Parts: sequence; C-alpha cells; structure tokens
Amino acid sequence: MSNSDNHDHKAAPMVDEISDFEALEVAVRELCIEKGLFTQDDHNEWTEYMHTLGPLPAARLVAKAWLDDDYKQLCIDDPVKASLEVGINWITSMPSNFGTPSDYCNPRILVDTPTLKHVVVCTLCSCYPRPILGQSPEWYRTPNYRRRLVRWPRQVLSEFGLQLPEDVEIRVADSNQKTRYVVMPVRPEGTDGWSEDQLTEIVTRDCLIGVAQPRADRKADDKRPIIRAVHAYGH
Amino acid sequence: MSKSHHVEKATGVGDPQCFKGEAPAAKFKVGDKVRIRNLPDIFYTRSQMYLREAEATVVKLVYESPPAEDEAWDNTDSPEWFYSLLFKQTDLWPDYPKKFETDTLETELSERWLEGI
Repeated sequence: MSNSDNHDHKAAPMVDEISDFEALEVAVRELCIEKGLFTQDDHNEWTEYMHTLGPLPAARLVAKAWLDDDYKQLCIDDPVKASLEVGINWITSMPSNFGTPSDYCNPRILVDTPTLKHVVVCTLCSCYPRPILGQSPEWYRTPNYRRRLVRWPRQVLSEFGLQLPEDVEIRVADSNQKTRYVVMPVRPEGTDGWSEDQLTEIVTRDCLIGVAQPRADRKADDKRPIIRAVHAYGH
Repeated sequence: MSKSHHVEKATGVGDPQCFKGEAPAAKFKVGDKVRIRNLPDIFYTRSQMYLREAEATVVKLVYESPPAEDEAWDNTDSPEWFYSLLFKQTDLWPDYPKKFETDTLETELSERWLEGI
C-alpha cells in the first residue's frame, strides 16, 4: 500500500515497546510521587542534574596526578578528598546530599603501571562512578559486555582496539558492592612538558573505564574523520 | 546510635561512611588467603556465582556496611567488614589460557562469605 492510499494513518510510536524494567521504574516513581516521598518537580530536577555530569572531572584528576606525586598519593589514600580538588563532592553533592541519587560514595582510583592494566565492569548490574564520570555508556550496561569482560577480558579489550602484550597483567575490577572504580592509566609517551589542561584533553571516558589507553595524538573532542559508506556495486 | 532511616543516617556523611565503627572486629587481614563460601541466596545477594568456592587473597579492608543480603530488606542492624579480594583468573575459569596466568580479578565481599584457609 502506498502512502497516498492511507490518509488517516497514525504516526508509528517512537518506541515500539518498553522493557519490564522501564515499566517498573515508572510504576515505582509514580507511587513515590503519590506517597509524597518526592514531587514530579524534584524528579525533573534530579534527572536534569544527572545529565549535567560527565567524565571531565575524572580526566582532570588523572592529569593532576600525572603531574603531582603527592596528589597521586592522595587519590590512592583518600579519593573523596582528591575529588574535591576537581570540584566533585561525593558526600554532599546535589540533590540527595549523600551522593548522587541511588548511588554510593566510596570511590577508588585504580592506578595502572606499565605491567598492570585495570578495566572496570559491573557484572551484576551497571554500577558506575557517576558523580565523577557522568552517565555510563550504553555498552557498559549491556549483558554482553558484563558477562564477557570478566571471563574473556583480552578478547573484549581487543574488540575495543586495545591489544595488550602477554607480560601485562590485566586486572578486571568487578564493581559488585559499594565501591566505584576509576582507572588511572599510565601517562603516554610524547607528553613531556604538557600542561594539566593538555593532559586532561587526552584522558577520555574509555580510558577512565579502562577499555582504552590515552594517546598523545588523540583528544576527547577531536573531530573524527567521516568515512563514507562503501557501495560494492557502484551506486 | 539511634535507629534512624538509612537515608537520614547517610545524609551529609555518605554511604558506606555512615556505618563506620558499627561492625565487629575484622576476622581477616590484608594478605590472608580465604575461600568463598557457597551460601544459599534465595532472595537477594551481590556475591557472584562465579566466585563461589574459589580461593582469593585479601588485598584491602574497604569499609563496614550491612551486607547486601540484609540491606535489600532495609535491615541495617548488623554491619560487617567488607574485603577487596584478588582472584587469579585461571582459578575462576577452567578454560582461561595458561599463557595469561598472571591475569587477575578484584571484587568485594562481606565477611560472612569468607572462610580462612
């Protein structure tokens, strides 16, 4: 049937179906509002707040630690205090005043060395250091990443383009309780004399999760080349 | 400390920070070898199946908190110590390549899940 034969058709729904978990979230949220635990306005404010968060504070934390051994030690000993220096208060940040909504405030910085590479996963759900990294990427929440990374870390990392030599120990951190992990990668070659701002630019979100290594020639906001589609039959 | 709702207790202090000092003395210390117990978990747990009965080394005492199995039911009466544990990947997965036997996995469990070896 062509489009012109069907004048009274309705627009297709934007989303064909919602998952059980989405339905559950809406149900619980509406019950909370009915019960007076919070208002719809509170919920809007929290949601908008969550979407203002991103990985830049963690990138700066890593850059500062690369430049200052005392600060690096503080990141290891007291990550809550170290986070204050990049503007993140895990304890009393808006809006809940005990960490961002529904999350815990026990950050831990995993320090890579030339022979030890950390990578983070949450096999049980999708725990993520949201106050300092923002919302997790979609792939981080998928069962595929979660179930495979713990068991086949080298294969999964190579799918991200990260191939590590045999003499590098890979340490998977499974974020299963109240600790939220941030990876501090090794400072790459070719960055001698760089400022904190310059170093911050190369510490991408994926470096902070551990599925990538920072590179002197690649910044988080670089323009990516446009790769045109290849049409094998010459369209 | 008087019994107050978890949220009030954590406000301005943080969670798990708000349970500091409430657990009995830690049974294990850094460097101890432990085996993960295979306890029943009919309702809720955060202790992964793939760790059950595996051996690990305590690398850090991380915090005190009610275990997830209690906290899921709003029971915060019995906080215990949580440990960060290091496992060898070749101990966890029978098909993990021997070539990469230095690869490891780190995760946290509460004291009830551990027995000394």
